[in-house]
Amino acid sequence: MMENAWIIPLFPLFSFLILLVVGKRMKETSAYVGIIATFLSFVGAVAVLIERLNEPTYQATYTWLTIGKMNITAGFEINPLNALMLVVVSLVSFLVHMYSKGYMHGDERFSVFYAYLGLFTFAMLGLVISANLLQTYIFWELVGLGSFLLIGFYFYKEEAKAAAKKAFIMTRIGDVGLLIGMILLFWQAGSFQYGDIFAAVKAGNISGTMVTLCAILIFIGAIGKSGQFPLHTWLPDAMEGPTPVSALIHAATMVAAGVYLVASLFPLYEASSTAMLTVAIVGGITAIFAASIGLVQTDIKRVLAYSTVSQLGYMMLALGSGGYVAGVFHLTTHAFFKALLFLAAGSVIHAVHTQDIEKMGGLWRKMPLTAPLFLIGTLAISGFPLLSGFFSKDEILVAAWTHGHIVLFWLAVIAAFFTAFYMFRLFFLVFGGEMRSEVNVHESPAVMTFPMVVLGVLSIVAGYMNTPWFGTFLGDFLAGEGTHAHEEAPLWIMVVATAVSLAGICLAWLMYGKKSLARDWLSSRAPITYNMLLNKYYVDEFYTVTVGYGTKVLSVFLQYVDRFIVEGLAHLIAALTRAIGAIGAKLQNGQVQMYGAVTFIGLTILVVILAFTGGYL
Amino acid sequence: MSWDTLLQYKWGVMTPEFVILGVATVLSLIDLLMPNDKDRRPLGWFALAGVIVALVSLIGLLSVDRTSILNDTFRLDAFGKAFKFLLLVGASLVLLLSMDYKPKENMKYYGEFYYLFLTALLGAMIMTSSGDLITLFVGLELLSISSYILAGLRKAHRLSNESAMKYVINGGISTAITLFGMSYVFGFAGSTNLKKIAIQLSALQDSSQQYVLALAFLIMFVGLSFKLASAPFHMWAPDVYQGAPTPVTAFLSVVSKTAGFVIVLRLFITLFASVPSQGKEPSSMLLSMQDYIAFLAGATMIIGNTIALKQRNVKRLFAYSSIAHAGYLLVGFAVMSWVMIDSMWFYLAAYLLMNLGAFAILQVITDQSGSEDISQFAGLYRRQPLLAVLMGIFVLSLAGIPGTAGFIGKVHIFIGAFATEPAHYVLASIMIATTVVSYVYYFGLFTQMFFRPVAAHESVKVPLGVMLVVAICALGTIILGIAPSLAYNFLDQFQHFSDFLR
Repeated sequence: MMENAWIIPLFPLFSFLILLVVGKRMKETSAYVGIIATFLSFVGAVAVLIERLNEPTYQATYTWLTIGKMNITAGFEINPLNALMLVVVSLVSFLVHMYSKGYMHGDERFSVFYAYLGLFTFAMLGLVISANLLQTYIFWELVGLGSFLLIGFYFYKEEAKAAAKKAFIMTRIGDVGLLIGMILLFWQAGSFQYGDIFAAVKAGNISGTMVTLCAILIFIGAIGKSGQFPLHTWLPDAMEGPTPVSALIHAATMVAAGVYLVASLFPLYEASSTAMLTVAIVGGITAIFAASIGLVQTDIKRVLAYSTVSQLGYMMLALGSGGYVAGVFHLTTHAFFKALLFLAAGSVIHAVHTQDIEKMGGLWRKMPLTAPLFLIGTLAISGFPLLSGFFSKDEILVAAWTHGHIVLFWLAVIAAFFTAFYMFRLFFLVFGGEMRSEVNVHESPAVMTFPMVVLGVLSIVAGYMNTPWFGTFLGDFLAGEGTHAHEEAPLWIMVVATAVSLAGICLAWLMYGKKSLARDWLSSRAPITYNMLLNKYYVDEFYTVTVGYGTKVLSVFLQYVDRFIVEGLAHLIAALTRAIGAIGAKLQNGQVQMYGAVTFIGLTILVVILAFTGGYL
Repeated sequence: MSWDTLLQYKWGVMTPEFVILGVATVLSLIDLLMPNDKDRRPLGWFALAGVIVALVSLIGLLSVDRTSILNDTFRLDAFGKAFKFLLLVGASLVLLLSMDYKPKENMKYYGEFYYLFLTALLGAMIMTSSGDLITLFVGLELLSISSYILAGLRKAHRLSNESAMKYVINGGISTAITLFGMSYVFGFAGSTNLKKIAIQLSALQDSSQQYVLALAFLIMFVGLSFKLASAPFHMWAPDVYQGAPTPVTAFLSVVSKTAGFVIVLRLFITLFASVPSQGKEPSSMLLSMQDYIAFLAGATMIIGNTIALKQRNVKRLFAYSSIAHAGYLLVGFAVMSWVMIDSMWFYLAAYLLMNLGAFAILQVITDQSGSEDISQFAGLYRRQPLLAVLMGIFVLSLAGIPGTAGFIGKVHIFIGAFATEPAHYVLASIMIATTVVSYVYYFGLFTQMFFRPVAAHESVKVPLGVMLVVAICALGTIILGIAPSLAYNFLDQFQHFSDFLR
């Protein structure tokens, strides 16, 4: 199956093409096309993973273009990371396809939605099996396009339009870094192939400064895509898209692409301690920064969005601390429990028709399936012992501790406390207490709850892929190539993690569950902090004032430059072109003698030049 | 020459030419004996079969080493094989088109189209393989004279008559100029054999003699630019292309142009590559004339692309576009990089596919509407989405958009301009600038097809032969655009045409 792995991304592409052509006629049956296509991809991905467990990395390349002595190749690669990502992406995509059948029921553009989902899944699967940077970049942009289309799916809503535009522009800022880094690497290593680049780095053919520069430039691309500080602001706004999209793109797959990119270029980062430190610091800051904003948000999806940003920061922190396995591990478990949380949130929104958590409450009895599943997701993300998030988060803390970033380690611990707190605040406000609005609430249909159940089970058991007690299967699998052996971790880290998580849960319970603590006991004492958090540290406002206003001033200036200089030149050239055309057309008067004359005049000019120059120009 | 020596020649290397000659002769006899009221279209199938047999026999000859017969007047080398392949493929596609050509007025005499077409093709094939000025010239004239008649085949159509007349007169001027240039060369060398001339000329040390030879170079080049439809001998093209029957226009713009580049490469490289010259750097005369060719290439690109902007008649539009493409090809010749012939071969192959595809669709549209105005393409996407998309592919390829064969062809010529020492920045930037200008008229066609209201409501009927041509060309355009290595693997067996001068 490995040699045929290229076929996996093609199923969703076919789904996209079919729905594009006949989707309008198929109406809601188009869901089956998408579901079957992604299921086939999932089966293929599982087959590839099983085969890869026992066999070495498979790589297929093919020369696409030869320019002079440079070969530009196309191809795919199945290494442990790719094989794992294939399964994660195709599984989540399959479940989201299924869920959407219920969630999007009755939407006018139902088939278009499925077509876009197919396009996105194709791009994401293509991204994870690419064997070279150029191909990665092409799919990277395609993924961005898919995300843009899906965020703006409700294009008649102004917010959705603005959010889609913002997502596109913010990630594009990062992409510029990626593009420059990629071209620099090609210039230095003479190849886009990952293998060739690593070989060149290892052999010392690329200077240390250059390695650092390339690594950081590429990381800027990852910052944009993975919503890291300071380019994170698009991700919470992207929640304007349909909720299944948030689950697929803005939780499990696309935003993880940045982490994936850093992971797949890990040997490059390892060669530069500066780049590693940058990754770790950006990750750490993002983790605590987003978690603190998550404390006060009141929109159910925005809370989840900030927690996604914060968890992605965790992954970057892990990678930057040399915890390759920890980062990939958390990427996997996070994909499951965050997709679960989003789907469950979608189920709640589907039932109560609002996203404001202040208007929810008392849903525990009304939604007998969604509520416990949401609880599982919440426990997993909070790092509650024995659930998947517990093991992966522990692994990250160990990586941060053993590699000496003491400040980052404690930042991560505080962020873990925040996470437990705001997630349970969300849980108690939505499911606990009394109903705060007058809506007739129903549990969602089976087509929506089934994917949630699957993800719920995975959120519990996925952690056992890699535990200090039962064996580090994932670590061994991923480390098969490199040297990332599991480090002996001090036991107290696990204890601290557990304590912090439980403390967060307890505090949330006291404030929002039992209500023995007033909800505003802290916020009333520190109103400035509270307002700052509520307004997300004013980052958007800061951008509006600095970048937005600055750009406006610059643009007014440039507008004049454009109007009078650039446009003038353009008009001049266009007029010149037209004039030549007009003269030429006028000469073309249909008279044969004119044609002959032009030939002779041409020949005469050439001969005269020859005569004057003596034959040598 | 006795009968025995004649028999000793390896006539086998001329099999493709013999096949074409034989089919043309038999066709002319059949046409003579057939009753007047019989449909002549089956003759087309016969001609097509002949071309395909010739193509197969050529493929059989691919492995044969360089061979020359008849006192080195006919040579089968890698160069001849590679370009004959293009000529035959192009000819078979044009034949497919011609069988479905039905202009509004009834064309009575169609039989001669097929055998004149074959003799024109034969002339082009002789040109690729000749090693002597005489055979080169005879091939050229065979191609020209057959084409003159072909252009005037629509006897009842005024424009067609005008087209043939103009073509003959301009062709006469071209022949005179070319022969005048050749006479200088013959005067210096005292031989008509290309190899012998090259040896004689390479001994030329006197600078005044070299000066006269350079004059001969320019005169011959201007004379031959008639066949390329490049400046300064391009002006006949729009009038002739417009009036000639559409399959003939397709033939002139693809097969005849390829033959023109064949003769230019063959003649100038063989004769002038080893002639000493006392320029800035004492090198060959061919290199010292680079700048003149570059000048003409630049002028051709500018003229073709700018005048095309003003055209509303599609056939004239494509005439100017074909002038522009001749300019791009001349860039490949002017920079004289070591992969010159390879990149020009690829460009001609790409041009063959995309241009014939476009002409096939153009023929269907203009035939059915009876008008050649660009507005006939309006709203084609609504009437016949598939046809519009295919035409879109050809237009994108002609414009040189990535993913198509036209792009790869342009990239290779462009890279060639930088790969040489010194690099030709001016020429390369003219190429870029004029390519951008060409977007205006190519995308103008695009907007007509996709964004304009429908011109006519009856559906477009696409005959089988045309559909076949369009399908082959579209597939080829995309495949060569995505996997150009396929064509380059084919070219690899010729080893950069290293047996060219031997």
